[in-house]
Amino acid sequence: MRKIEDGTVIDHIPAWKADLVLRVLRLQRLAKSELDVSVAVLQNVVSGRLGRKDVIKVDRWRIDENEADILCLIFPTATINYIKSWKVFKYSPMVPDTIEGRIRCPELLCISNAEREPLTTMFYTLKTERMLQCRYCDTLLDFGKIPDFVRV
Amino acid sequence: MKAEDFAGRDIITMRDFSREELEFIFDSTKEIESGRPGGALDGKLVALIFYEPSTRTYSSFEIAAERLGCRTTGFSSPEKSSVAKGETLHDTIRMYEGYGVDCIVMRHNLMGAARFAADLTKVPVVSGGDGSREHPTQAMVDLYTIRKAFGKIDGLRIGILGDLKYGRTASSLSYGLSNYDVEITFVAPESLTTRKEIDHFLSERGVGFTKTKDVRDVVGSLDVLYVTRIQKERIPDPTEYERVRGVYQINLSLLKEGKKGLRVMHPLPRVDELSSDVDESEYAQYFVQAAAGVPLRMALLSMVVAK
Ligand SMILES: [Zn+2]
Repeated sequence: MRKIEDGTVIDHIPAWKADLVLRVLRLQRLAKSELDVSVAVLQNVVSGRLGRKDVIKVDRWRIDENEADILCLIFPTATINYIKSWKVFKYSPMVPDTIEGRIRCPELLCISNAEREPLTTMFYTLKTERMLQCRYCDTLLDFGKIPDFVRV
Repeated sequence: MKAEDFAGRDIITMRDFSREELEFIFDSTKEIESGRPGGALDGKLVALIFYEPSTRTYSSFEIAAERLGCRTTGFSSPEKSSVAKGETLHDTIRMYEGYGVDCIVMRHNLMGAARFAADLTKVPVVSGGDGSREHPTQAMVDLYTIRKAFGKIDGLRIGILGDLKYGRTASSLSYGLSNYDVEITFVAPESLTTRKEIDHFLSERGVGFTKTKDVRDVVGSLDVLYVTRIQKERIPDPTEYERVRGVYQINLSLLKEGKKGLRVMHPLPRVDELSSDVDESEYAQYFVQAAAGVPLRMALLSMVVAK
C-alpha cells in the first residue's frame, strides 16, 4: 500500500482484534461501496507499548468522530490519526454521555428490539464501570461486548 | 411539596422517586384510606391499555379511576383491541392521545415499553408493569404497607424471596427501598437471583444487601419477608424447578422460627409459594397490602392527572 495522502490510521489495537474494529466501523461494507478506498490490516505487529498489536490503515477515508469515540470505548489503547495532505493529526477521543442508534440492546425482550416500533436505541455510558446501560430496559453491556451488538 | 408538583408526571420506574416524593404519595394515600371524598377528577378520561392480561392490576386502576370520578377507556388484553390486528404501540399511544385522554395507564410484555410510550405523548403515562423489569405502583403499595405496619421503614431488615431475576415487583421494591435506611436480603436460587442492574443500583446508592439461597439462614433476623412467585417457565430445567419450588415455600412452621413482629407480604396472586395456613396468623400482611392497591392508585392518579 502506498503512503497515505488522505486517510485514517488506527493504531495500538490489541493483537488479533482488527476484525472487531472492521466490524464496528463497517469497513467492509464501506470498501465495497466506495471502490476507491483501500484498507491495510497489519496483525500481531511488535509494539513497544502493547507487546503485540494490530494496525489498520485506510486510504481515502476519514473516520467519523462518533465512531472513533465508540471504538475507543471498546479498545482504550487504540490511537486514531487522520491524515490530510500527508499531514498527520491525532484524534483525541471523547467518552460520549450517550450513544444513539449504533448499538442494539442485548435484551431481546426490550422494546427497542421490537421490529415495527419507530424507535432509536439509546445507551448511557457508565464511565467508571466501563459499561453501557439501555435507556429503555436498563440492561448493562460491558464496553468490551459492544462489537457483538453493533448494527451492521 | 404539593400534589400539583406531580401533575403530568410519568410513573415508569421507582428509580425516579425520591424519599420525599414517596412519603408525600403515602400521606395522600393515608388520607384517602381514612375517607377523603372521591370525585376529585370529575369528567377526566383515563385510558387503560393492557398488553398483558392482569385482572388485579387492571381492576385496581379501573376502580381507582372511577372513584375519582373519571371515565375509563382502553382494553384489558390485546385480543380485545386493534393490537390484535398488528397496530404498533406507537400508533396506539398516538391514537389515545388524539382521543383526548388525560392519562394512560399501561402494562406491556416488553421491557421499557412504558418509557417509549412516555416519549411519544405529553399525556402522563403510568406503568402497570413492563416486561420483567418494573412495576412501580405495586412497589409503592408495598412500601406504603410496610410503613403502615411498622410506622416507619428505616431500620428494618427486609427479605425479598422468589424469582428476583424476572420478578418485576422485586426489582421495583428494591429500588424503592434504596431511599430508606434498610438492610435487604435477597433469597433466591442462584439462577434467579437479582440482575447485575439491581446490584449496581443498590451499591451506588449505598444500600446494604446480602444474598442467600436458604430462607432459614435469615428468617430469624427479618422484620419483613416479601414473597414472590417462581414461575415454572422461567426455569429451563424442570427438575431444577421441582427442587426450588419446595425450598421456596413459606408456611407457618417456618415463620415460627422468625422473630416477633415478623410480617409476610406478597404481591398476589400466589400459587403454592405461600401456604394458606399463614393467612389467619399474625404474620400475614398481604391482604392489608392488597387493600392498599386502590387508595394508593387513587392518590397517584389524582396527582398526575392535571386538574
Ligand atoms: Zn434495552
